[in-house]
Amino acid sequence: MKVFFFFLLKKIIILFIVLLITLFITIFLLSSTFDQIMKDSIRTQVIESISSAISKNSNIHQFKNSDERQKFIDQQIKLQSQSLGLDEPWYSPKKLFNNVLKIITLDLGKSRFATTFNGSSSVNDLILEKMPYTILLFTSSSITIIIISLFFGAYLASKEGKIMDKFISGLASISQGVPTWWFSMIMIVFFSFYLRVLPSGSTPLIPPNGSGYTADLLYHMTLPFITLVIIGFAPSVYYVKYIISRILHEDFIKTLKIMGIPQKSILYKHALKNAGPQLTTMFGLGLAGTLGGSVLVEQIFDWPGMGNLFYNAIFQSDSPLIIGLVYFFALIYLLTRLILDVCFTYFDPRIRSEES
Amino acid sequence: MHINNKFIKENEGGIIGIILILFLIGMTFYALFLIPTQLRLHWNDPLYWSNNPRDAAPSWINYFLKLFNYQLPEHKIFYQKDALRNYINNTEFKQQNNTFSYQFNFNEFPSAIDIPYTIIVGKIPPVIDIYIKRPDNLEFEIYSNSLDSNNIKYIANGHDTNNNTLNHNILSSNTVSGRIYSSSQEVKNALNNYSNLFKFSIANLSPEKIIFSETNSNKPLTGKYEITFSIYSFDSNTILKDLNIIIQGKVFGLLGTDELRRDVFFGILIGTPVDLFIGVTVALSSTFIGLFYGLIAGYKERKIGTFMLIIIDIFLTLPSLILLIIISLHFGRNLLFLIGLFILFGWPGLALLNRTFSIQIKNYQYVQASKLMGESDLKIVLRHIVPQLLPFTLANFALAVPAAILGESALSFLGLGDPSFPTWGQMLQDAHTSSAETLGYWWWIVSPGFMISITSVTFILLGRSSEKFFKMDKKR
Repeated sequence: MKVFFFFLLKKIIILFIVLLITLFITIFLLSSTFDQIMKDSIRTQVIESISSAISKNSNIHQFKNSDERQKFIDQQIKLQSQSLGLDEPWYSPKKLFNNVLKIITLDLGKSRFATTFNGSSSVNDLILEKMPYTILLFTSSSITIIIISLFFGAYLASKEGKIMDKFISGLASISQGVPTWWFSMIMIVFFSFYLRVLPSGSTPLIPPNGSGYTADLLYHMTLPFITLVIIGFAPSVYYVKYIISRILHEDFIKTLKIMGIPQKSILYKHALKNAGPQLTTMFGLGLAGTLGGSVLVEQIFDWPGMGNLFYNAIFQSDSPLIIGLVYFFALIYLLTRLILDVCFTYFDPRIRSEES
Repeated sequence: MHINNKFIKENEGGIIGIILILFLIGMTFYALFLIPTQLRLHWNDPLYWSNNPRDAAPSWINYFLKLFNYQLPEHKIFYQKDALRNYINNTEFKQQNNTFSYQFNFNEFPSAIDIPYTIIVGKIPPVIDIYIKRPDNLEFEIYSNSLDSNNIKYIANGHDTNNNTLNHNILSSNTVSGRIYSSSQEVKNALNNYSNLFKFSIANLSPEKIIFSETNSNKPLTGKYEITFSIYSFDSNTILKDLNIIIQGKVFGLLGTDELRRDVFFGILIGTPVDLFIGVTVALSSTFIGLFYGLIAGYKERKIGTFMLIIIDIFLTLPSLILLIIISLHFGRNLLFLIGLFILFGWPGLALLNRTFSIQIKNYQYVQASKLMGESDLKIVLRHIVPQLLPFTLANFALAVPAAILGESALSFLGLGDPSFPTWGQMLQDAHTSSAETLGYWWWIVSPGFMISITSVTFILLGRSSEKFFKMDKKR
């Protein structure tokens, strides 16, 4: 248990370092715009605090003229900027600490252009609004792929070398080489332009609080969903088959066969169970990957998720939104990696002993 | 023979991969040695492509449409030498007629008519007149204008004024070069005079749909058209230097054209060396770095090894796509810089694999023996460990190529590619920004993506089969 604990600690430290590296790179690249954002927010804070102080107690902060008031404001801004280190270069420790602290505590500021449906431009609100859409599309298609590949992969493992097996392995090679986003474009041409059965843009036309919204959303989701499943299932089936067929060659399966346990039961009960850890890792990583959504696929289908938000943020150089999303994506990615590493080590003690 | 058949059957994938790679290498050589560099630079120059049709489909689809008795208009360019010329000398002016006969046998209207011309002008500006005689013997005058009335003030002693209008360019003191578009307002106005000949309203139709239309309904009228370009000159110095009649088709070339009239096939060709270069360079460098880094990390013990492993771990945990986007967004679009980034994020996975193997091999007895014999570390690594890993490294190399190509095309699609080196990903980006998917310009989408996929699949197949060899080697 002690070894396991040390392993866990090491992983957490590495992931934290990586998170910091990602943040530093982002801050370094976007520092000039980031400074501007901070200055703007200080300015509004100072002006607000003065006007509220004046309205509360009119005797204290009376200025003789507007020049004096301006002078006071400038002085206050300068003081606060200095305390935050805004007049120093990006690598000064004080400033770095401030910036990183701000991001880590999820004080992500406001987006410059994007707004939520309710009109809020806070980065947190935007992410919270878009995340369910991404989960709806990508996570559901991933789960569909997982279910298909578990059953189909196990079935194929018992039919190794047959035509179907060869076909799937060929298809897996092809689907790995074909860019998903290009395949999405092809699907749009085929289903939306030639057959005219499904809409090309995926943003529902009815506003989120209108009646029939869910049905419309699901209708618009059909094409991206089908696309993701078609392009994703073959490699997944191939991988499941590969793992299970390896287990089928092991001695304990042969013993089970000799004992007279039916083929189906061996396949779906014993072999699948033993493939558990490896399959969990693979599918877990896959699921984690879907949370960020695919920037390109969402953009092509105009799906109102986080990938599309990121794409638009990049092209409008909406720095607060970019920084917020990068932090968010990195956080999700690293957390899933941590959970998976822990699970994997827990399942498979060999890793622990190798590491130590 | 019996063994050969078995060999082929077991390595189908590898053999297909070798055929495909030969095909790609052929395309690369063609693009590098048979297309002059000068021509390649024209890709982003819209003027160079102005004589091509816009958004035209590949011309071979007419062979398939023949089965349905349907034909799309082909692109047709008439040159000055194709014209039937006659001169009429009057006392006050000279008339020069250039007549082109055009056989129109298609089921759709052409997309437009462009008429670029170059005329050397004498003292008095000439008048240009364009007539079209149709198979039903109707004759339309679609354009009639004096060069002078279009704000070209002719200045006798050769001083150019800034009177260049959109359609006319004064090249030198007395050479006028211009382009008459069927979509221009003058042509539309001229055609309005014939509205009573048609049994339907032509008010909102574009000119080519009127010129080539039946009078009863708005359907293409097939048969022989005669297009006459006449110049009425009032002195003897007016000379027609160059004239083209371009009937913009809806099919063109092997793979059609895009929104900017560029030949898609040309783009595919010049993209091949760039994409292969990116893939191979990135794969080569990252397998090389990965191999040696992994070897050293596995071979060195304790502190150095652990430290090197932690660095690999950090790199593997970085969210690479997001960092790639942000970094290339900031540092601009340079091909070599992009390649560097891909190498930076590409080597750690390979290093981790090689480290595991190196630990295994290190403990083999013959390696231990040579260590005891006092061979240096470098010698042991190079003589005993590297050769063992070569087939495996080859497989890794092949599998790293598609990753780089797919990554580059994704970045290009996001608009982060190097614009001076057109790649397939950039072509797809152009297609997407012109919303080619929803307009149904499949040829513009299918070809670049198909090439990306073919290249990736080629290397995946090669990688898989060399992996197989590696495993067989091990079994022996």
